[in-house]
Amino acid sequence: MLGNYALVEGALAAGCDFFAGYPITPANEISERMANRLPAVGGKFLQSEDELCSIYSVTGASLCGAKAMTATASAGFNYMQEGLGYASSVEAPCVIVDVQRCRGENYATQSDVMQMKWGASGDYEVVVLAPSSVQELFDYTVEAFNIAEKYRIPVIVMSETTIALMRENLTIPEPGEIEIEERDRPEVPPEDFLPFSPNDRGVPPMPSFGEGYHTLYSLNPHDEAGNINWDPDTYENMYERVLGKIQDNIDDVSIVEEHFADDADTILVAYGSEFRPAMDATLRARDEGLSVGLLKLGTVWPVPEKELAGAAEAADTVISVEMNVGKYTREVERVCGPRAEVRSVTKNRGSIHTAGEIYSAIKEVS
Amino acid sequence: MSNETLQVQFCGFGGQGIVLSSQIFGTASVRGPKLNAVQTQSFGSEARGGECQAELILSNGTIYSPSADEVDLMVALSQPALNQYEERLKPGGWLVIDPELVTSTGRDDVEVIELEARKVAGELGLELVANMVVLGFLGEATGVFSPEDLFDVIEESVRDKFVELDVEAAKKGMEIARERGISMEVALDESG
Repeated sequence: MLGNYALVEGALAAGCDFFAGYPITPANEISERMANRLPAVGGKFLQSEDELCSIYSVTGASLCGAKAMTATASAGFNYMQEGLGYASSVEAPCVIVDVQRCRGENYATQSDVMQMKWGASGDYEVVVLAPSSVQELFDYTVEAFNIAEKYRIPVIVMSETTIALMRENLTIPEPGEIEIEERDRPEVPPEDFLPFSPNDRGVPPMPSFGEGYHTLYSLNPHDEAGNINWDPDTYENMYERVLGKIQDNIDDVSIVEEHFADDADTILVAYGSEFRPAMDATLRARDEGLSVGLLKLGTVWPVPEKELAGAAEAADTVISVEMNVGKYTREVERVCGPRAEVRSVTKNRGSIHTAGEIYSAIKEVS
Repeated sequence: MSNETLQVQFCGFGGQGIVLSSQIFGTASVRGPKLNAVQTQSFGSEARGGECQAELILSNGTIYSPSADEVDLMVALSQPALNQYEERLKPGGWLVIDPELVTSTGRDDVEVIELEARKVAGELGLELVANMVVLGFLGEATGVFSPEDLFDVIEESVRDKFVELDVEAAKKGMEIARERGISMEVALDESG
């Protein structure tokens, strides 16, 4: 199946019932399939007039109780930053897909990796998942909805041209085999309800518009009652909780795979499609007796610091592999730098690394 | 034992059915027992006329890297595309070209196979089905997929009104490979 189609199937399996999108390659097959599939499952599809409309209608649908998603590609993701900031502030669970592409063309890149986290103004935490295959486009999109619902945040699926336009085998689990999370709902009557009073995970239970509960969603600092309040303590407390609900639960939102990473002298770190040639290069190096392991980051934000630090602790060299100018390497350097030498292996030519290219980098340090 | 793989690249310009060819080749290949396939593509933003390429990897094991360091088989349907990609062909690999569209190659260490796909397609009534001539030819020469699987996948992949002509074109390609005795030995043990 085509990667973009697999992502749609993952969204539907997770219960997505609202989608808004504005055309852009290489994300168009997501809109196309959503337009075909959503009405059949009782959902709603909106072709919006621009990306701002996409992100705000998704936010609105979420506040009305929908499991909502939008999809775009790099240039369109720029426009969504304002709406992403708003969705984060009002804690609207939703899923945003960015199929990264080189400027104006459908060539492969991972160059939006920093914008995923730092694009909007203000303080916020998003969770960003980086699938590496058609199967993971399905699996991680299910996970994205689950994290969004559980923590009331926008979750970004960081796709890439490489996998979005890839065709390979996909196994879709039976519906009963897929774990689905739903947002916490208020357990008190409307008159006793405080809209931003958190549960034990730091997440406020969430009613939908029209159910009689107080539902004023402001970008401005607000207290537990939802009233706008510029008091410094209120401001500080609000952000501590909004950031803390992710930071305190980082293990729950981190997807990290370790391959031979226990006692390797050289550790590769890769995310998204770059995991694939890195894995081939690791296997080839190990076939030749080299002590090489690989850390695959399925979650790139928040940075899985514990796993990165652990792998670096036992290694001499950490090689950060990515398909851009070496942006995420700075995060790898920050965590691994005190423990091992960090090298950056980048490719910024509109195509994925080959295994041979990464293997050569391994040989240089071995 | 390492896995057996076959790397194929199709290149040309948008509108020739480059991506569709790789898609059909890959889908037909996994209809048989136990082969995995990964197909990727890149193309310019123009709908037609821009550079276009698609890569296909078949293996009897897990496929990680979607882009090979070298390809075993390249199909080139335009001179600029071949110029750009020919260095990726493995020494001793197969280069299938349409001599009407590709007149020269810088590689003298590969087996060049000429297939007048566009001319044959034109004789069938529509030059656009040249890619189906190529697919039939490759299926017969490599034996990676059966004619039945190819015809089924063509039927599922193209609009109804083209099915008959596309299948006819594929059969013509198979016939040409048989008549010329073209055989590409592909080591893909399906029981792996």
